[in-house]
Amino acid sequence: MFEHAAIALQALLEPMRLLALFAGMFVGLVFGMLPGLGGVAAVSILLPFIYLFDSYAGLAMLLGAVSVVYTSDTITSVLLGAPGSPASAPTAIEGHALAKQGHASRALGVGFLASMVGGLVGALVLFLAIPIAGPIVLLLGTPELLMFALVGLFFASSMVGKNLKKGLAAACLGIGLGVIGPATAAADMRFTFGQVWLLDGISLTIMALGLFGIAEVISMLSAGGGIAGDRMVLGRRSDGVRDFMANKWLILRSSVIGVFGGFVPAVGASASTWVAYGHAIRSTKDKSRFGKGEIRGVAAAEGANNATVIADLVPTLLFSVPGGPAAAIFLGALFSFGYYPGPRMISENPDLMYLIVWSVALASVAGAAICFFIAPHVAKLTRIPFAIIAAPLVLIMVLGAQKSTGTMGDLYLLFGLGLLGWMMKHADWPRAPALVGFVLAKPMEQYFWLSNQLHGWSWLTRPGVLIIASVIAIPLALAGWRLIRAHGAKVAVGSAVGVTPVEEDLAESGHVRLISAALALVVTAAFGYAMWEMQRFNATSQLLPGLAIYPGFVLSALLLIQSVRVLPGARLDGFTEHYFLPVLILYPAAIWAFGYGAPTIALIAWMLLLCAHMRWLSAVLYGGMVFGLMLGMYRMMRADMPTGRLLDLF
Amino acid sequence: MDRLKLTTALVGATFAGMGALPAAAQDGYFAGKDIEIVVPFAPGGATYVSAKFLEPYFERHLPGNPTVTVVDRPGGGSILGANWFDENANADGTTVLFTTSSTSTPYVLGQSEVAYDLADYRVAYSHAFGSVIFAAPGIGVESAADLPNATSPLIYGGISAAASDLPAVLSFEVLELPVTSVMGFAGRGPALLAFQRGETNLDAQFTPVYMTQVVPMVEEGTAIPVYSGGSIGEDGRLSARDAVAPDLPSVFEAYEMIHGEEPSGIEWDAFQAIATSTYAFGLTGYLHPDAPDEALQAFAEGVAAINADPEFIEGSQEITGGTPLMAGVDIEDNVRAALQPSDEVRTYLRTLLSDKFGVNF
Repeated sequence: MFEHAAIALQALLEPMRLLALFAGMFVGLVFGMLPGLGGVAAVSILLPFIYLFDSYAGLAMLLGAVSVVYTSDTITSVLLGAPGSPASAPTAIEGHALAKQGHASRALGVGFLASMVGGLVGALVLFLAIPIAGPIVLLLGTPELLMFALVGLFFASSMVGKNLKKGLAAACLGIGLGVIGPATAAADMRFTFGQVWLLDGISLTIMALGLFGIAEVISMLSAGGGIAGDRMVLGRRSDGVRDFMANKWLILRSSVIGVFGGFVPAVGASASTWVAYGHAIRSTKDKSRFGKGEIRGVAAAEGANNATVIADLVPTLLFSVPGGPAAAIFLGALFSFGYYPGPRMISENPDLMYLIVWSVALASVAGAAICFFIAPHVAKLTRIPFAIIAAPLVLIMVLGAQKSTGTMGDLYLLFGLGLLGWMMKHADWPRAPALVGFVLAKPMEQYFWLSNQLHGWSWLTRPGVLIIASVIAIPLALAGWRLIRAHGAKVAVGSAVGVTPVEEDLAESGHVRLISAALALVVTAAFGYAMWEMQRFNATSQLLPGLAIYPGFVLSALLLIQSVRVLPGARLDGFTEHYFLPVLILYPAAIWAFGYGAPTIALIAWMLLLCAHMRWLSAVLYGGMVFGLMLGMYRMMRADMPTGRLLDLF
Repeated sequence: MDRLKLTTALVGATFAGMGALPAAAQDGYFAGKDIEIVVPFAPGGATYVSAKFLEPYFERHLPGNPTVTVVDRPGGGSILGANWFDENANADGTTVLFTTSSTSTPYVLGQSEVAYDLADYRVAYSHAFGSVIFAAPGIGVESAADLPNATSPLIYGGISAAASDLPAVLSFEVLELPVTSVMGFAGRGPALLAFQRGETNLDAQFTPVYMTQVVPMVEEGTAIPVYSGGSIGEDGRLSARDAVAPDLPSVFEAYEMIHGEEPSGIEWDAFQAIATSTYAFGLTGYLHPDAPDEALQAFAEGVAAINADPEFIEGSQEITGGTPLMAGVDIEDNVRAALQPSDEVRTYLRTLLSDKFGVNF
């Protein structure tokens, strides 16, 4: 095994292959930073170029890209608050909050180092897995996979936040959005309204961009200035290293969580990131800083997501079952070079297997180093008025969303969910449980259905199921025991289960009360409609939606009553963000009517002239550059530019 | 080796840049044209890999040496890409929809999201996509004849009854096998994993996966192949054996082994219609309905030259199991016939799917 590893390292160190690896890394770093464009986009764009090289170099190029996407996305998440990729949404919450307090450097430093550790743990697991992981993956039957998803949901319960009702309603809403599309047995199309673009459900990219990205952009546009007020204080780099050392075990544990996320098909980097984030909350004594800038949240999330993408390669290489979407493209590349992953691959191509390990390890380390180097320069961007950055940022998000189905539907969803995310942000509905519910809805339903079909109810007594169930049962039992000892002191349960007791805050400011009422109304209406539509589904397709929709309706109705009660006298008092909302409707509507070009130029002009108050000449120059860049990106990504239905201007 | 390849690519790129193509390439239907091959699946899937595999051969052998580009348009189980093709394809035959039964089955079943009239399209080329059904050891099944008497309940794992699993499900109906079909797997790969874990005991895999994943299992004794989908025989029925597994009986033969007579009736007609478009014409390149005969003729010339290319013959072993490409001019009528089964068959299929699998139409 070691001589093959040495041969593989030597093979990788050939200049042409190193060049390919670094070219891949470059693309991966750039795409990681662009919100909405991640590993899949990077790998797809590289795909035509890998055939210019030999097979080792070509594959190294793809691996270079895959390994660093979740490192550089930290930069966008921390500095802009818009997740660079869906799996760094927790970083966008905690890291961006830290950045606003002037601790960007800490968040970035910990994020990069944790990403590196995650990558290295993934590579190590891959190295060890080559001889032994086969039996492990085969040991995990469908019921065990279901239990993993449930553990994820349990961990995620830590994210519900201070208002139990809002947190649970948000989780129900996320699950409700997650069941859109074909039911598990694909016998029912749920809530697709006959629209082809909903046939696969809502894409995770659009969900993450909508809930977090768009909402963040609106807030910043209305704030006008740079992201951290006038000037972003980065802080010292050494702080990041110190925080990293203080949290090294958490990062290591999160990487292991990430590795398991990679082993389980259908549970991707997003899910394991949230699970690791939940673990961070659970294992932290003082939970009060979560959501307001907690470095442990960043450490856990970044350790997990990198480990997952690399562990995704384990099922890919051993069984030809891609662990994630980027791994699926990598599998196709392997096929086209004539390698057919499977049981024979290890004995037939040991050098290739170890080359893959070296590529991801090298890229993880080099990627983190490059990010350290470029982060201070990127951070300077945050000093200029945000409206200037917003123009290209919004357009890149639109392009990223458009890669999902290439129809107008992507835009409706992006801006619709953007509106939802904005309302949730201001109504204090936590967005994390919504995204977790969304991510876990499909695997939970699929694995539950398959477990019951394949094993009857006997799966409940499988040893593997019981062992994994103990991860949930033991903390619950401990909490119960503490409850008895504390004679019903509410606080004990609350902190053990991760839910702090509800405290109604009646003195919320006017816009919060208004938006809370509006959101509760919209969500209640949506759940009400969903209850009606789901009656025509097959009974098996009703189960999971029912688990979310019925309680969701009750919760949101209660929230509606509550919010209407405190509504009288609510005034906006200087709150101006809602002035920006019409753009969310006008821009997609104009694209529908006139095509991509004219509305986009109008949007750029509006942002640069009216929001950023740029001078005419510089606005024309800069705006023209942004527009030209977007045209180039559409060409490069081979994305369809929407054409107008009423009058196709250009 | 790597440098050589790179140099060739660079030289090729330089030539293309200068427009200095060989004079002979200036003639022919596709001279100076760009062909776009639309694959309605994600890159990495079997169809995409097959399209990429064929790409250089088409560039080399199509009359006029056009530039060929494979573009993926995944989504909606291929319906999104096919609908896009319907709206945007060029009428001169330079846009190709290269797809599988995932596109044709929803069309045959008349699903509401389908906006394409597949039977109206011209057929450029096609190749077979064989499939082998195999059983787990220890359930008393050594060959197809033992299937009705298996000692454990037969459990098949699939993705969706109304899509690519339909021919396998229909083969169970034809053979009158007591199989529990559990749908809802995320793909054929996860279904194979469940088979390896012993959660299912009957599985089906298409040629490339069968050759690379299942054959080693057969050698180890952890899988026992029982029958193949079959190919079109001289009698025009789906009675012949599959080139991928010449030792295995087809569904037709398996029926004879079990029941002692030739299969017939509505179950067989339905199986034959669906299996023809799934297996025999498994991967098919379609053109715009108005594509001229010259375009089809040009593809036929290209296909003949590709089939004679020694590099293709060697390379295609693992992709198509070594079966040659078929030209649209020869098979268009068969393809269209399989896409338009009788109303009786259609009704049977829709009833079966809604009664047994709860599919809403």
